[in-house]
Amino acid sequence: MTVIKASNLTKTYNPDKIPVRALRGVDLAIEKGEFTAIVGPSGSGKTTLLNIIGGLDRPTAGEVEVGGKDISQLSDNQLIDFRKDNIGFVFQSYNLIPVLTAKENVEFVMVLQNRPKAERDKRAESLLTAVGIAEKMDKRPSELSGGQQQRVAVARALASKPAFILADEPTANLDSESTAGLLDMMATMNKEENITFVFSTHDQRVIDRARRVVTLVDGKIVSDERR
Amino acid sequence: MLFQIAWRNIWRNKVRSLVVIGSVLIGVWSILFIVAFSSAMVGGYVKNAIQNETSHYQLHHPNFVEDKDVKFNIDNPAAVLAKVSETKSVKAATLRTVVNGMVRSSRGARGIIIRGIDPAQESLVTGFDSKLIEGKYFTEGRKNEIIISQKIAEKLKLKLRKKVVLQFQDLNKDIVAGAFRIVGIYKTGNTIFDESMVAVKRMDLNELMAKEGIAHEVAVLLDKKEDLVPTGNALKVSFPNLLVENYREISPETQLYESQIDISATIFTTIFMLALIFGIINTMLMAVLERNRELGMLMAVGMNKGKVFTMIVLETLLLGIIAAPIGLFLGWATIQYFGGQGIDLGAFSASMEQFGLSTKIYTELSTKYYWSLAISVLITALLGSLYPAWKAIGLRPVEAIRKI
Repeated sequence: MTVIKASNLTKTYNPDKIPVRALRGVDLAIEKGEFTAIVGPSGSGKTTLLNIIGGLDRPTAGEVEVGGKDISQLSDNQLIDFRKDNIGFVFQSYNLIPVLTAKENVEFVMVLQNRPKAERDKRAESLLTAVGIAEKMDKRPSELSGGQQQRVAVARALASKPAFILADEPTANLDSESTAGLLDMMATMNKEENITFVFSTHDQRVIDRARRVVTLVDGKIVSDERR
Repeated sequence: MLFQIAWRNIWRNKVRSLVVIGSVLIGVWSILFIVAFSSAMVGGYVKNAIQNETSHYQLHHPNFVEDKDVKFNIDNPAAVLAKVSETKSVKAATLRTVVNGMVRSSRGARGIIIRGIDPAQESLVTGFDSKLIEGKYFTEGRKNEIIISQKIAEKLKLKLRKKVVLQFQDLNKDIVAGAFRIVGIYKTGNTIFDESMVAVKRMDLNELMAKEGIAHEVAVLLDKKEDLVPTGNALKVSFPNLLVENYREISPETQLYESQIDISATIFTTIFMLALIFGIINTMLMAVLERNRELGMLMAVGMNKGKVFTMIVLETLLLGIIAAPIGLFLGWATIQYFGGQGIDLGAFSASMEQFGLSTKIYTELSTKYYWSLAISVLITALLGSLYPAWKAIGLRPVEAIRKI
C-alpha cells in the first residue's frame, strides 16, 4: 500500500528574484512499512522534499498524496489538522516542549486529538516503555540526555498513530552509543509494528540500516536502491 | 494542558515575568492610592462645604439668592421647617436669618455675613458647636451672644468676652446696631468661609430686625448624599414658591470638584493602562520571538493557530491575574491604613485652608473603583497580548523551525 506519493514535484525559492530550484521534478512513492533514507549532499533538496511531503511547505508544482489524499491544495489550518492525525515528526534538535515532562510531551499530540485521559496515559506510558525510557517519564527535557530526548521525540511522533514518521537527521546531534540505540529501537518498531519511517540523513550509520536509500542530487533523484 | 503549558511558560523566565508582575502590582497599588488620595482631598472639600456652608439643600425666597435684601424672607418659616423635617431622607433641618452687615470692634470694622441660628438645630445640621476652638457654644436664656471665627478675631484683635457691634439694615430699611459679647471662637479650616461669617442666635437677630420668627434660609441635611435627587424633587413639589437648591447649585465649584474625582481617576487609569499595554506587548513579543522555533514545532505537530493564539493570550492574562489581586490588596490595605490614621499635610495647611481643603487627608475609595481597575488591567492584558499572539500565529512552521 502506497503511503506517500509525490508526483513531478518542483520547488523554486525566490521565483521573482534569483530563483533557486530546490526540487526539479521529483517522483517518489513510499510504501507502508518501508524504512527509507533520503540521502544526498548539502543543498541537494532533502529537507525541501521532507518539508513538502510532511505538509510543512507547498510545492511550486506537482502533487503530494498522503494516504491517497492530495495535500498540496489544503489551507494552512487544514494542513495543521492533517499533520496532527497523519504525520509524526522527529526533529534534528529534538524540539520537545521544555516545560512539559517526557510523558506530557508524548501526551501532547493526543491532547490535541482530544483523546480521553485514560487512553493518553496508557499510550504515553507504553510508548515510553517501548523507546526504553519509562523510568524517565516524569523528567523534563532539560533533565534528559540528547539520546533520551530523541527517544521521547520518537515516542511523541508515534503517539498520534500516524501514517508515517518523518525524521530529519535524527542522529545528527547524538553520540555513537545513542545513535545505535535509537536506530535499533526504530528498526524494531519498523519490523515488529510495520511503522513507516522516512529519514533525511548524512549519517552513514543510518544509511547502513535503511532498507531503501533514495539519493538526491541538485533536486533530482539520481538513484533509488532497495536492499 | 493549554493552561498548564501557559502557566509553566510564564515561569520559564522568572525574572522577566516577575518584572512584569511587579510593574502591574506597583502600578495598581500606586494608582489606587493616588486616586484615593485625590478623591479624599476633593471629597473632603465637598464634605466641608456641605457641613459648613451649604448643607445638602437650602430653601430661600426666590429673590433672596440674587438680592440679599432682608425683606426676601420665607413665609411662615416654622411650618416650612416642620414640613421639611418630615420629608423622607431628611436627617435634620434648621432655620437661619441671614443678613449682610458690619462687625465693629474698638480696633476696626469689616463687612460680614451675620447668621442668626437656632443653636440646637444648627448643631444637628452643621455640627457648628464642634468647630469651636475657644470658649463655649450659645447658652440658653443669655442674650446677645456671638461666635466669631479665629480669622476675624485676629483681624479685629478680639478675644473671648470682648464686645463687638453688629450693624445692618432692618426690614424697615433702617440701620440698626446691637452689641454682642464673644462667647466662642470657631475655626472650620476654610479661610474664605471663616473670614466672612459670624453667628448669633436667630432670636436676638430677629429682635434687632424688628420682626419675630422670620427666617431667610432653611438648611437641610440628608441621611446620605445618594438621596440628593429624589429628596430635591420631593422638596420642590412641597414648596413650589421657594427656591430649592442643592449644594452643587449653591456652590458650583463643588460640582466641578466632584466631577474632577472621576475625570482624574480616568486620566490616571488611562495613563497607567497605556504604559502597561506597551510593557506587556514588549515582554510578550520578546517571549514569542525567543520561542519561534518552539511555536513552529507546536504548529508542525498539529497545534492549530487558534490554540497557539489562546496560549499566548492566556500567558499574558495569567501575568495580570497574578499581579492585579496583590496590587489591589496592597492598595486596599494602604487606603484602609491612611483612611484610619490620615495623612497630615500640616506643612501646607495655610495654603490648603485658603482653598477650603482639609489639612488631614483620610483616604477612601469606593468598591466600584477596585472592580473597574481590576477589569481594566485584565482588558489591558488582553489587548496587550493580541499583537504578540497575532505575530505567533503568523509564523510559518517551516521557517520557524528552519527544517523538520
